[in-house]
Amino acid sequence: MDYFLHILVLAMVYTILAMSLDLLAGRTGLLSIAHAAFYGLGAYTSALVAVHFGVPFVVSVFAGIVVAALISFIVSLPSLRLHDDYFVIATFGFQMILFSIFNNWMDLTRGPLGIPGIPQPVIFGWKVDTHLEFLELAAMFTCFAYFVVWRITSSPFGRVLHAIREDEVFAKALGKNTLYFKATAFAVGAVLAAMAGSLYAHYITYIDPTSFTVMESILVISMVIIGGAGSLWGPLVGAVVLVTLPEALRFVGLPSSVAANLRQIFYGSLLVIMMMFRPRGLVGSYGFSK
Amino acid sequence: MIPEMQYVVNGINAGATYALVALGFGLIFHVCGFFHFAHGGVYALGAYAAYILTHELGWSIWAAMPCAMLVSSIAGGAIDVVVYCPMQRRRATPLVILIASLGLLIVIQNCLSLGFGDDTKSISEGTVSEGYLFLGARITPIQVATIISLVMVFGAVGCFLHFSGFGRKMRAVGNDPELACVFGVDSESVVFLTFALGSALAGLAAVLAAWDTGLTPVMGFKALLGAVVAVIVGGRGSILGIMLGGLLIGMAQHLVVWKLPSQWQDASVFLILIIFLLLRPQGFLGKPLRKVSV
Repeated sequence: MDYFLHILVLAMVYTILAMSLDLLAGRTGLLSIAHAAFYGLGAYTSALVAVHFGVPFVVSVFAGIVVAALISFIVSLPSLRLHDDYFVIATFGFQMILFSIFNNWMDLTRGPLGIPGIPQPVIFGWKVDTHLEFLELAAMFTCFAYFVVWRITSSPFGRVLHAIREDEVFAKALGKNTLYFKATAFAVGAVLAAMAGSLYAHYITYIDPTSFTVMESILVISMVIIGGAGSLWGPLVGAVVLVTLPEALRFVGLPSSVAANLRQIFYGSLLVIMMMFRPRGLVGSYGFSK
Repeated sequence: MIPEMQYVVNGINAGATYALVALGFGLIFHVCGFFHFAHGGVYALGAYAAYILTHELGWSIWAAMPCAMLVSSIAGGAIDVVVYCPMQRRRATPLVILIASLGLLIVIQNCLSLGFGDDTKSISEGTVSEGYLFLGARITPIQVATIISLVMVFGAVGCFLHFSGFGRKMRAVGNDPELACVFGVDSESVVFLTFALGSALAGLAAVLAAWDTGLTPVMGFKALLGAVVAVIVGGRGSILGIMLGGLLIGMAQHLVVWKLPSQWQDASVFLILIIFLLLRPQGFLGKPLRKVSV
């Protein structure tokens, strides 16, 4: 039962990541490979402040949000001049640099040794320590992320993002400060990813850089693409499919190293097949082209 | 031995490998207009083909090299025919193709990892020589071979592009596929042969790199990252730019070690990438980027 709840919690963490990435990739047309880096920024910031200063859960999540928002402005800067595939390459660079910091800044992050002993959350007296309570907490975070994305996309602000995705020059011609809109959307996406990271760090109580590699970013992109970009349900469908289906490999009795490879082959081939035959995903509305 | 010169020699050698991978990647990018990330997978396939030939079948490395190039070439051509060509017929955007090629890279890398394991394999034969002393630095025969192949391959590809009919067709398709089509150039076969040629170069680079430092399934990904940076720093469509870009990041990677701990090598390369993307996205010698169409 705990195993089942654990899978559900992970599915929710990934749903938040996929929804926040969809706000960038599916709604604004800014496909970012740096999403695992923001996930990691949130996880590392809240782990470090929680371990070193013993601050409560709410404060440590907030710290992760602030750091991710600040860094997101730097990462969204290249979108000033770059579009589509060039923007992807730029975020790729940021992902590699931030990963390198997680992995190599020994004094701060302890590098590959990771940070153990992250306290489990206590929220205003509610001590979250069973899987079921974590599921409730994760569900709250997911609902919050869903609400934020829904609120943004159904507002005039979201319509400007949509316009930027379809034709940025035209949005500019209508007097919209597209840089402001892109940077704000990017910050919101980064903040939601950082929240998922904080949740993950306090749930697993141990983090190391291997959870925040570029492959993790590609996994989240696969979720958005397979579920469907530019829709509210697509990222949720993608996250649930990609978290639960590979678990089936566990029951076939394969050794874990083979299962890890097969899982990645599964993501990779799904990405290729989707891009070839159905770029808008299972339930999405946007196929990454104008 | 002079330590500073050693950094420079190591940097040139690393840069030469990057430049060789980047040349194939850059040719494909120039002619087709999209980032072919699976190039890293094609590269790793070439290296593992050489591993099977030398290790399992006992061939010499010089005999295995052309066969590895052929394997890479076939793999690259097959990827074009099976995946990219149908996508381009459906007018997929470069971004969509990039995502698909990322998926292909993951598939190839994990298949290699399943088949050969994650440990480092070696194809070097006999004892490791300590190399020649050159301007106060040690340089191994493999490094000499890498640098000589770099110069020869760049010369040959440069001449091929500028003086042969097929090279002219490649440049024409790269400049404007529709106009090339109007003039009767069959752009699909030009693209296919570009993939075959570029992938063969990846196979050559892979055998040299595997000979020097061994092979792992993630070697393709690492080489690809270097190639992406070299092509962007050098500029789209410029052979000389790609060579300079490859050498620049190879040097940067090794000169960083002079002042900083070696684990910051990767970060420094990507810092160069970001600086170029922010300040000069067309690279050293490239033409300005395409603007958003109205």
